[in-house]
This record gives sequence, C-alpha cells and structure tokens, in this order.
Amino acid sequence: MKKTKSANAAVAAPKSTLKNMQKYKGFYLMFIPVLMFTVAFHYLPLAGISLAFTEYRGVKAPEFVGLDNFVRMFEAPGFWTAFLNTLKLSVVKLLLNTLMAVVISLLLNEIKNMAFKKTTQTIIYLPHFMSWVVTVSVFSLILSPSQDGLVNTLLVNAGILEQGQEIYFMGSKDWWTSIFYIINVWKDTGWGTIIFLATLSGISPELYEAATMDGGTRWHKIRYITLPALSNTIITVLILNLAKVMNLFESVFVMQNDAVIQQADVLQTYIYTQTFNSGALPNYGYTTAVGIVKSLVGCVLVLVCNQISKKIRGRGII
Amino acid sequence: MAKVAVKKKKKITVFDVVNTIVFILISLLILVPIWKVLVDSLDLRTSYGMSLWPKEFGFDGYITVFSNPTLYKPFLISVVTTVCGTALGLLLCTLGGYVLIQWKMPGRNILAGLLLFTMIFEGGMIPTYLVVNKMQLTNTLFSVIFIPAINIYNLVLMRNFFEGIPNALFEAAEIDGCTPMQIFYKIVLPLSKAALASIGLMFAVTYWNDYTNFKIYITNADLYNFQMKLRSMIMGSDLPTALGGATENTVKNAAVMVAIIPFMIVYPFCQKYFISGMNLGAVKE
Repeated sequence: MKKTKSANAAVAAPKSTLKNMQKYKGFYLMFIPVLMFTVAFHYLPLAGISLAFTEYRGVKAPEFVGLDNFVRMFEAPGFWTAFLNTLKLSVVKLLLNTLMAVVISLLLNEIKNMAFKKTTQTIIYLPHFMSWVVTVSVFSLILSPSQDGLVNTLLVNAGILEQGQEIYFMGSKDWWTSIFYIINVWKDTGWGTIIFLATLSGISPELYEAATMDGGTRWHKIRYITLPALSNTIITVLILNLAKVMNLFESVFVMQNDAVIQQADVLQTYIYTQTFNSGALPNYGYTTAVGIVKSLVGCVLVLVCNQISKKIRGRGII
Repeated sequence: MAKVAVKKKKKITVFDVVNTIVFILISLLILVPIWKVLVDSLDLRTSYGMSLWPKEFGFDGYITVFSNPTLYKPFLISVVTTVCGTALGLLLCTLGGYVLIQWKMPGRNILAGLLLFTMIFEGGMIPTYLVVNKMQLTNTLFSVIFIPAINIYNLVLMRNFFEGIPNALFEAAEIDGCTPMQIFYKIVLPLSKAALASIGLMFAVTYWNDYTNFKIYITNADLYNFQMKLRSMIMGSDLPTALGGATENTVKNAAVMVAIIPFMIVYPFCQKYFISGMNLGAVKE
C-alpha cells in the first residue's frame, strides 16, 4: 500500500522533485549521521575486499597476485578443517536448539498454573543474557578437573570415576564437541521458546474445545492442532538461522584451546588466528580471501533458503 | 457443558505432575551452575567440592574485585562503553527509523535499500579491521562504541514501531508549524518509550557482553573491558592477587558474578521489554 503511494508521488511530480526535496531538507540532514556510520563501517570494508587478490607487504603497496590466495587456501588443510567444523557445529547446534525449544514450549503450554509458568519462563530465559565469556567461565568452573569442579567431584563420589582420573571436559578431544552443544542448548533453548509460545498463544481455544467434545486426547490435540500450527514458525526459525550459519565465532572462540583446535577451529576463528596470532607480518590478503569464501557460502545458503521458503510457504524471506 | 469445563480444570492428571517435575528439573539445571558460582564466590575455603552452601562465608572475593585497579578499571570501562554505546545506538536507530517512515520523501527507497543491503553483504572481519585501523580508531574506545552502534536490524525494528504512530499526529504537528526535528523529539520520541526501552536494553546487553570487538580492536590492556579481563582470569593467564581471606578461586567466582549482577538487578523489572523486543522482530509473520 505504502509503496504504491510513494511510487505515485514520484510519477505524479517529476518536475517538482527538487522542490519536494527542499521540503524534506530536515530529514536528509537527520539521515546524515546514519549514512556516515553505514558508509564507514559497512561500505568502506566492502570496498576493501579487493585486498583478497593481493599480497600484503606492510608499508609498501600491496602486490596484485590474482587468485593465488584462493589457491593457497584450497590447498591448506587448516582451511578445510575449519570449513567443515563451521558447517557441522552450527547446523547440529541449530537443529538441537530448535528441537529442544519446540519440545519445551509444547510442555510449557500445558502448564495450567500461571504463576509457575511465569517463574519457569523467567528462569529459562536467563542464560540468554549472559555473555559467552560468562557462560563459558561458569562451565569452566563447574567442569574443572580439580577438586573444585562440581561435575568431576560428583562423578568421583558416585564411583563412576576414580580419584585422579577426573576428566578435563573443556580440553578433551572426545568431549569438547558434546560440551559445546550442551552449553549452547543450556544458553539459548529457553530464549528460543518465546517465538513458539507466541505462535501457540495464537491458536484459537475453540479448536481445542471442539477436539475435547469429539473425545480427543491430549496427544491428539498436540498431534493434529498444535504441531501443524507450529510447523510454519519452525520453518521460519530454521531458515532465518541457517543464514547465520557461517558467522559462528564468539561461542567457539571463547571455548577454544590448543588441545582441541582440530575439533574447535571454525572459519571465523581461523581468520582471526591466521591474521592476529601468526607472529610474522599478518597476511591480510589471504585472510580477506578466506572471509570472501565464507561470505559467499553464507550468501548461497541465504538464496537457497529463500528458494525453499518460497516453495514451502509461497513467499521468500528477503 | 459448563459442568464439563469446571471438571476438566480441577482434574490433575499424571501428565501434569510429570510435566511440573520436568520443569522443576530444567529450572534446577539452569540455576545450579549459576548458584554454584555464587556460593563459591562467597566461600573463603581453598577447595569447595560439592557444597551448595558457603562454609566459610565472606565478601572478600567481591572486596578484591572492587579494590584492585586491574579489576575495577575494566568494570568502569564496561560501564562507560555500555552507557555511551546505548545512547549512540538509540540515536542512530531513531533517526534512521524516523527518516524511513517518510514514504513520500524523494530517494527514500534508495536510502532504505542502502541500509538493507548491508544486512546481506558485509566486508568481513579483516577488511573492517583495516578500515578501523586506517581511521586510527584501533586501541581507542571509539572503535568498540561506534561499530555495534550502527545496527540495521534494530533500526528496522524501530521503524516498524514508528509506523504504528497515527499519521494524523504528524499532520497536525506539521500544520502547527513544527519542523521535522521538533516533530521527532516532541511527538515521535515521547510516544515510543516502550520501543526505546526494548531496543535500548538490547543495545545495553550487546555492549555489556561485548568481547569480540574488544578482542579484535583493542590490544592495549589498559582499555580492556570486564569481559576481556574475566576471560584472561578464567584462562589462568592473568591471576588476580587476592585480598583478605579470599583465595584466587574465590576472586574468579566473584568476578563472574560481578559480570552478571548488573543484569540480574535489571532483569526482573524489565523482562517484558526484553521479550517485547524479541517479539517486535520475530512475530511480524
């Protein structure tokens, strides 16, 4: 509606555009700060991606090397480890979080005592607001392999582990990936339920009443009323988040340590360490190239998701 | 029929009992790790084990955090960046959102496109770093305040909210001779308190929790925020000198709590704003 209105205005008065712009002078002025920040922190970096085709040489002008950086990248085993880890960690995390959020919102929806429901919601939303540093700190302390770690002490006292055999969960190749998923579920499942609960509260109670009249059980109601109503929201959530899959960074970065680098290196952390921890003159050209590949894969995922969304829901997300 | 409804409400099934127990367990799973850190931060013994209640109670851990300059300075830097960043972020969001609802403004769609484009394509970590470096903003707090401030997603949320303001109000103000700027701060802002609270809280949490931007742009340890400091403490590379009866572990636990407490104080009062911020964006379907 509004778009056609503005289009009409533009067609109706091409000559007086300048006059019209004069009228909106104040608004253009107000937009200047927004524009300045957008250009400085979004468009100037976008122009900098040409660096990917050069070799960085410090104070000297960068040398054009064509696709050398990309060739080097595809031959580097570290790149492929990071690439596959990114996909694996974020996709499994996304599926686990969504599944848990759906299950928990279905169960929450069945609670009849409002006060209990509100309290539970307040508690399960809480971890979402803790930073990754704090979350990982809390778990480092709980999972610590020393006498102070709650989990290891519990395992020793229960006789599952012997004294001195405590597991260093955060630094163990076998454990790191599972712990990563567990922490993610702990932190974000609760928050993820908000959108599903909003959808659930939109389902007409009459549907449930009708089902009760027809002798439907609780399971029937969930199976034939609630889940179909949720499916659209589930698809939206999955698609919107799939678009962010390649950007996985902080959660992995703060959980990383040298012992688990094979399991825990993702593209963003690879870019970071290759640039800032390489010791020698940082090769900005190479890491920019890695960034471009990361963004391209992200873009393809967005476009594919958009197509899937169009197929399933009849409309895209962008 | 009424009878049936009453009966149904009173009946407590096995499912309800199990469901309640499940949620008590889930709540415990979330609270126990945080509770354990809180308890240990108040316990002055060297080894805690499984205790879920402090045995040698004392505030020495917290006293250490707030009397040691290497710990309270990062805390103050977190406060400064959170306050300044939230203010700047809200300013940019409201200005941008207000301009984007001027549907008849020539070039409005171009400007909107310019902003939305950045949500899909980005330069990435290294090109952004090089631009910030070239502007000589690395190792200054400007970098960590400026970069999260221009958040197009929040700007669009703000615009969605402004769209709900009745057009008649704008027209009436215009007839009364208000300039766009006057309409902005006399009508738009006072009517948008709920949105300002929601989006402001989102910004505040982002700034308070920021670790990535500090890690990338700040190498000078004097400018680290609390998250940076906490991280290096927990990793053991930067152990604090404990005061009084506190042990190193007590201080570590106390530092974790200090990073959460400001939020814990605000959260119960502002929960509805946090959630409405989420719904503002998500449930537009």
